[in-house]
Amino acid sequence: MKGLIKGMGVTLKTMTQKKVTHHYPDEPLPLPDRFRGIQHFDPEKCIVCNQCARVCPTDCLTLTGRKHPDPSKRGKIIDTYDINFEICILCDLCTEVCPTEAIVMTNHFEMAAYSRDDLFKNMEWLHDNNRHIRKENNLNAKGVK
Amino acid sequence: MDLKLEGISPELEAELKRNVFTTTLDQVKAWARSNSLWPMTFGLACCAIEMMGTGAAHYDLDRFGSFFRASPRQSDVMIVAGTVTKKMGPLLRRLYDQMPEPKWVIAMGSCATAGGPYVKSYAVIKGVDQIVPVDVYIPGCPPNPAALIYGINKLQEKIRYEARTGQGVTQQ
Repeated sequence: MKGLIKGMGVTLKTMTQKKVTHHYPDEPLPLPDRFRGIQHFDPEKCIVCNQCARVCPTDCLTLTGRKHPDPSKRGKIIDTYDINFEICILCDLCTEVCPTEAIVMTNHFEMAAYSRDDLFKNMEWLHDNNRHIRKENNLNAKGVK
Repeated sequence: MDLKLEGISPELEAELKRNVFTTTLDQVKAWARSNSLWPMTFGLACCAIEMMGTGAAHYDLDRFGSFFRASPRQSDVMIVAGTVTKKMGPLLRRLYDQMPEPKWVIAMGSCATAGGPYVKSYAVIKGVDQIVPVDVYIPGCPPNPAALIYGINKLQEKIRYEARTGQGVTQQ
């Protein structure tokens, strides 16, 4: 009897409280800016320094560059930039070392796929992945005014 | 079965179209199956914590008709959540074989998909698709509960799509 009253007490106490469940697929899930989601890549900012590929703990990141087509300019431009999301652990190290913020983290996490091949993403896909970029990096992203 | 639908009047036909809807048995079965996916609790590592979080109050997997079962005999879908070592591989296969048909597998996280951070290890299976057929791969290390919900919705979509069109979701 005492247990029943105790249990009903908890029920009555929590009945009037706000519901905690997120209605995720119906409503978008708000995530904090420190969330490590799928990267956004800006080819114009990249200087092909290879730091991201060297720091990557699983070697899931590959890139190639070539010399700047304009001979009067120094440096390199990016040719291909691929991330293999089969083994990418979203550790944020590539975005930490990037000196020009060419690769930045987003809050985007919806990437479940039916095939492992679909998880290999190239430069164009990463450039188009421009939703929910972290606020401090969201200055000149594609499609953002 | 002869329904004698030729001889009915146009008014009655309009009435029928408004009030009776037809479907195939396969689609009804897929609808029922996709809305009661009972996952087996196959937590192996940190992904299991996120899987438990998905079942708890904030994300509430019960909304999609998914209830965790502790026995492979009662479950439809196996969520492989975590690193599968070579020692664990045969056991994973046995548990998969013990599940009744129809059955599906979700590879949750980088470890179950391709080895993840242990991709250079000698003791880890580089992807559970080497031992069981996988339907949905969820990237992330670990995927957050919403990503797991997205993967489960994707599996439901796959079950319904395959019943509707009679072909697989991946291009061969």
